[in-house]
Amino acid sequence: MEKALWYLFTATRGGYNRVRIVRTLSDRPMNANRLAEELDVSYKTVRHHLDMLAEHDVVEAGEADYAKLYFLTDRFERYRDTFEDIAGQVEE
Amino acid sequence: MQAQIQLAALLAGVNLVCLLALTAVWARNYRRFRTTLVLGLLAFAVAMLVENALALYFFFTMQSLYSGDPHVQQAVLVLRALQLVAVGTLTYATLK
Repeated sequence: MEKALWYLFTATRGGYNRVRIVRTLSDRPMNANRLAEELDVSYKTVRHHLDMLAEHDVVEAGEADYAKLYFLTDRFERYRDTFEDIAGQVEE
Repeated sequence: MQAQIQLAALLAGVNLVCLLALTAVWARNYRRFRTTLVLGLLAFAVAMLVENALALYFFFTMQSLYSGDPHVQQAVLVLRALQLVAVGTLTYATLK
């Protein structure tokens, strides 16, 4: 999981936006549409990032059929320190 | 130029394009994340970029070096093709 987090967030083109998504979801769960508004990124981009994050078990979608809320997984929370290490490296 | 060396030069060109994309992504990420991992990736991409540029230069300027032996040409082509697989896969995973 640690390696996956480093890859997802620092080594790829969309890494920075994925950090922003995780930070936003840490405050509260949100659906893709709200995330796109909040981060000022296109809906399609947010969808792609959410799919990548879900594939790596960082986020999961709630039950709803429509406007699904996304949550951080328990597994991710166990690696919260690694994420904070990575996000802490971001030069604002 | 011999066909095999021509093809090898073409593959080196494609490698160059991939490596330019990787260098751009990792340079931008390094400005954002000051991590050793990204610095390592960046150094890797730049070194490979220079390697491929040099290879292209040799293909065009030292044809006589390759013209003699078809086995050498074949080996050079195979090496370029393998590098394309490596660099291409990495580019795909990085741009996702």
